[in-house]
Amino acid sequence: MSLRKIKAIARKEYYHLIRDFRSLYLAFFIPLLLILLFGYALSLDVDRIPTAVVDQDRTPDSRDFIERLHASVYFNVVSCPPSTAELIRLLDANKAVVGIVIPPGWTAKLKAEKDSPLQVIIDGSDPNYAGNTRAYITSVVAQWNRKRLVTFLNRHGRRPIRVPVQAQIRVWFNEELESRNFIVPGIIAIIIMIVGALLTSLVIAREYENGTMETIRSLPIQGMEFFFGKAICYFFITLVDVLVAILMGQVLFGVVMRSSFWLMILASVIYIWVALSLGLLISVKTRSQLVANQLAILLTYLPSLLLSDFVFPQQNMPQVLKLITRMVPATYYIDILNGLYLRHLAFPQLWSSFAILSVMGVILSGLNIRALKKEGL
Amino acid sequence: MNSEAVAVRDLVKRFGTFTAVDHITFSVRSGEIFGFLGPNGAGKSTTIRMLCGIIIPTSGSGHVLGFDLFTESERIKQSIGYMSQKFSLYLDLTPKENIRFYLGIYRVPPDSWDARMEWVFKATRLESVRDRPTGELPPGWRQRLALGCALLHRPRLLFLDEPTSGVDPLTRRHFWAFIRELTREGVTVFVTTHYMDEAQHCDRIVMINAGQIVAMGQPAEIVRKTLPDRPRADLGDAFVALMRKGRP
Repeated sequence: MSLRKIKAIARKEYYHLIRDFRSLYLAFFIPLLLILLFGYALSLDVDRIPTAVVDQDRTPDSRDFIERLHASVYFNVVSCPPSTAELIRLLDANKAVVGIVIPPGWTAKLKAEKDSPLQVIIDGSDPNYAGNTRAYITSVVAQWNRKRLVTFLNRHGRRPIRVPVQAQIRVWFNEELESRNFIVPGIIAIIIMIVGALLTSLVIAREYENGTMETIRSLPIQGMEFFFGKAICYFFITLVDVLVAILMGQVLFGVVMRSSFWLMILASVIYIWVALSLGLLISVKTRSQLVANQLAILLTYLPSLLLSDFVFPQQNMPQVLKLITRMVPATYYIDILNGLYLRHLAFPQLWSSFAILSVMGVILSGLNIRALKKEGL
Repeated sequence: MNSEAVAVRDLVKRFGTFTAVDHITFSVRSGEIFGFLGPNGAGKSTTIRMLCGIIIPTSGSGHVLGFDLFTESERIKQSIGYMSQKFSLYLDLTPKENIRFYLGIYRVPPDSWDARMEWVFKATRLESVRDRPTGELPPGWRQRLALGCALLHRPRLLFLDEPTSGVDPLTRRHFWAFIRELTREGVTVFVTTHYMDEAQHCDRIVMINAGQIVAMGQPAEIVRKTLPDRPRADLGDAFVALMRKGRP
């Protein structure tokens, strides 16, 4: 293996890249777009739920309840329609996700110490969102109940009864339960795959399409030299994208990584290596830029997005799918990033993911060099 | 050093059940212009690709510049120059950048890069367009650049695969004058061509049809042997007669 040959190939590749508008756009514009889109649009947090309340009781107590609801960060009372028919219209039109009906005589029943039902209608089209909404409603009602109970007992000169069990909840790793804190690492994983694999999936196929692969074959170039020469440029571009993503995550979304920066870079370097090897392998096997591009999206981008634990939790997947997720490189990279970003872990807790990613890199590079050897390099 | 630049014996290349090259035996002497002629699909390209170390022969034996065809393809590639009409330079790169690429690949020592580059620009008369994209140059100019790139590492053996197809007559004449000059410096030239007038430039030629050698020798000698009763026949007539013979 000769360093000078690798340098010559890398230099040539660099010229191709800076003169190819499409590649540059893919390398720099798409990552920025993704960070902004995912960062701002993909919020999995459930708060400020649009709520409509029909108050048929119209007493200070019912108004107090509505006030309570509105004061919590979870609910945003957008409308107080006069009738249930109007409420149904609001729910149909998706103007409200929760509809609450306070029936006439509600306060009177309360005062008479009778059961006093409150109707709550939740739009269940998004089950996840509806589940969260239900939990929040239950908690607001429970709080209101307890407050009433305490005032009631006080008024009658009795000591407040003690609640036997009180759950002391403390959230670890992501105290504010901000979904952005785990979306940002996910975006970094997706960006590396897009830039790394999608860009490199074009580069060898392009040599075939332009007929320059025959030039390469006729020259004293070995598979390994060709592989490294091709990969170097894209390696640095992808690394720059990672740094930009880290910076944007910090500046725009306030997601700060407090663990070792160098461990993060090491993980990224290994993951980039995997992504580039995968892209180049697709490129040399398909020999067509169009097919390579399609295949790269199918094999790298989609699994990274859907199966990596980024958007859809792996715990809920069927067994077969779980096995497939074990083969998606992004699974391990996101595992490392979550460990670094949220759990503040160090290398001893993360080494297995590092090791698996490295093994993937070695295998994919080996396959590349074998495929290139078959091509006469 | 061997006085034979190329020597092959019973060389065979099969692709599946198809035999592209069928037991050919010939040799090329150092310093000569050796022509390799045949119709499309006769096995010319397959032979040249085997000799350049791009594909490994199925059976037989052979050496190029003393390197074995089966085991030393990397050494062969490093030592020869190869230029083909069929493959191109990088069109989005300038001539200068193309040359830089070849200089790096051929392991020309960096301290002689500038000198080699100037030599190529002078020999190919491309000085004025060194920084223009290669894709903007006319085909004849690209041809010269490709030839220049193949000569950067001063190979002793140069393979030219249909070097002048699609090039105007004047450029072709220049081209052959340049090739003659190279042989005076001791470079051996192995060339395939479609043009019979070009084949006249060759010291010796081999004609190949359906993977087998049908004639070998000096051009005039081949004409005489093939068409003994037609004293005014030329190489083209001989070629047509030979290719017809091979067909059922």
